[in-house]
Amino acid sequence: MESNWASEHLQVIRTLMERSAIYRRALAPTSLLIGGIGLAAAVIGWLAGIDSHRAFGIYWVVVAFIALGSALALIRRQALREGEAFWSSPTRRVAQALLPPFLVALAASILMVAPAWREPLQVWWLPPVWMVLYGCALCSAGFFMPRGIKLFGWVFILSGCVVGALVNQRSYAAGMPHLTNAHWLMGATFGGLHLAYGVYLYFTETKKNEA
Amino acid sequence: MNPEPFLQLDRVIHEKGRLAIMSLLAAAPQLPFTELRDTLNMTDGNITAHLRTLQETGYVSVTKEFQGGRPLTTFALTARGRKAFTDYINLLEQIVQQTKREI
Repeated sequence: MESNWASEHLQVIRTLMERSAIYRRALAPTSLLIGGIGLAAAVIGWLAGIDSHRAFGIYWVVVAFIALGSALALIRRQALREGEAFWSSPTRRVAQALLPPFLVALAASILMVAPAWREPLQVWWLPPVWMVLYGCALCSAGFFMPRGIKLFGWVFILSGCVVGALVNQRSYAAGMPHLTNAHWLMGATFGGLHLAYGVYLYFTETKKNEA
Repeated sequence: MNPEPFLQLDRVIHEKGRLAIMSLLAAAPQLPFTELRDTLNMTDGNITAHLRTLQETGYVSVTKEFQGGRPLTTFALTARGRKAFTDYINLLEQIVQQTKREI
């Protein structure tokens, strides 16, 4: 009996310690914001006719930095509104988990856009590489966030693999579509998937708060 | 059964609410008042009373500052509090092991 009581106490302590390390800020606004930026960037990129390999790479790296900066500003605002520290321990852990795949994605982008001789069609490889690395970043961060984030990360990884396989097949068989179409791919994945996830979170997070 | 480990359990930490607060603070360098309150689903009065007891025992320290023009009160375990919490966990594990051996 006493053993049961002590074991249960230890289990409660373990659960609470784990909960203390979890990032719990509302993710729906952040996801919607990133999705909106992704979709807007796709439309602007397509309308502006950004189709050289260098311009495409640089353009989307800049968009990524804008999305990241906006997301951080939004998270900081949420923290201040709730009277909590912005750079809290869970936020730090999430940032540390995101950083390595983000740096690899940046390095891959630089390697792809730096040489002046690169074929524009080779840059079609960047979106699937970004998707897979972004998915890996979400899966790592998912250890310190609600469970849905890991699943969302897997959606990006699998989508990246499918797009990568299509790029690989078409580059040898039928040739690749014009690079302006890659903006729509970016808009559908980084924009559309975030918007869909944001809408899903908006309703589920609200329900959780009401409960 | 040897009742000694049970009798050695720290009565300040052993209370359910205070144990929950200590567990949360043990896993984070510091936590704001609102996060402690919301995570544990306690009322302001209830959690304030527990935090005061923990502060008076020297297990928890409080920091008051301003962030973005708003007051921010954060709590952290002191070295003494961390040691007391570790001792408490060790005793619980001892009780579990002892009972397993006796069964």
